[in-house]
Amino acid sequence: MSSLTDRYVAATMRAVPAQRRLELAEELRGSIADMIDDRTSGGQDHASAEREVLTELGHPEKLAARYSDRTLQLIGPRYYLLWWRLLRQLLTYIPAIVGVLSGLAKALLDGEPGAAIGTAVVAAMQTAVQIAFWVTLAFAVLERTRTPLGLPEWTVDQLAEESRERQISHSDSIASAVFLLATVGFLIGQHFQRWTTDDGSRMAVLDPALWSFWLPALIVVLLATVGLEIAKYRAGRWTWPLVAVNAVLNVAFAAPVLWLLGTDRLLNPELVERFAWLRDGGTDQVARVTAAVVVLVAIWDVTESAVKARRAA
Amino acid sequence: MVSDEVLRTHLQELRRGTVVVASLVALRRPDYGYALLQRLAAHGFAVDANTLYPLLRRLEDQGLLTSEWNTEESRPRKFYRTSDDGETVLNRLLDDMTAVRTSVTDLIEGAER
Repeated sequence: MSSLTDRYVAATMRAVPAQRRLELAEELRGSIADMIDDRTSGGQDHASAEREVLTELGHPEKLAARYSDRTLQLIGPRYYLLWWRLLRQLLTYIPAIVGVLSGLAKALLDGEPGAAIGTAVVAAMQTAVQIAFWVTLAFAVLERTRTPLGLPEWTVDQLAEESRERQISHSDSIASAVFLLATVGFLIGQHFQRWTTDDGSRMAVLDPALWSFWLPALIVVLLATVGLEIAKYRAGRWTWPLVAVNAVLNVAFAAPVLWLLGTDRLLNPELVERFAWLRDGGTDQVARVTAAVVVLVAIWDVTESAVKARRAA
Repeated sequence: MVSDEVLRTHLQELRRGTVVVASLVALRRPDYGYALLQRLAAHGFAVDANTLYPLLRRLEDQGLLTSEWNTEESRPRKFYRTSDDGETVLNRLLDDMTAVRTSVTDLIEGAER
């Protein structure tokens, strides 16, 4: 008995259940010998015949899987759709929630608002990886044990529930809300986590005088926009009243920002004083770019909502 | 023009179940793995060894084949033979193949040209 065949049989038997190993090994060895004999009787030398036969039989673990009727996939068609839906649902909110909470904890409890965004991103990513890993592992185990989950069969009634037109997706709404809240967080955070200059003095980016009225007003507008996101999600699509509110809120945000930029009141004067390029006309450049972005975003947002409302009508 | 890949897949699908039928018919006369493989090949059933050997095992587990070790020849071999249950299943399968054949013929003849 030659060593290649021995190695092949051993490799195959490692992957089949122990109780049938001996008999299977004996039979497989015999079959391989038969196949080799057939080739050598036709004039082929033993070594090359053996290689040919073993190559024909293919990967030992694949053969073993066929013998023991085992799946060669992590998650097969039986569980795939369920796995994918669950994973998507969990990944839509949980990482975002964990990220926001740990960011807030960093900012408020540890008193380090500047590190909050980094902490939030890392926490969200770690959570996402953990969710993906454990959910996939659970389903891979189910696949291997072939556990019946006893889930209700698909019926047409499910179709009726889901088929209501939904223009506004879950994940879009959550992403928008998170973005808006992050902006609020920035407005508040920039005041506390001040810009540290070379000489160690710290300053807010925006003019602290604006806290008397304009910054709180902008924050209220942003929070109202979060409310709009929620209303829009509940409606499931853009309606004309929602478009109107959206337009008002966009103007309510963009107009003050543009006016403050135009009158040089947005940036902290101390900060401007500190940096030569800001003093020498840099503020104009900052104002122009910011104004352009604010105007474009507002126009885009209102136009998009109107187009979608028209499509949904 | 259909690609060879597509054609091969369809042929494979069509052939898949017939290996079981062919094996159950052939094993009315007991035989061992490689000899069966050659007999099937000689009759136009080109089965891969790594498909046939596990299949014999599975059919045995399902009770459609019985097996016996023959130690009289140069090397011990496991001989399989179609069991009574296997015969029953085989007859059902053969009936079904005939039914499919008839249906296809009807369909071809009845189809408008």
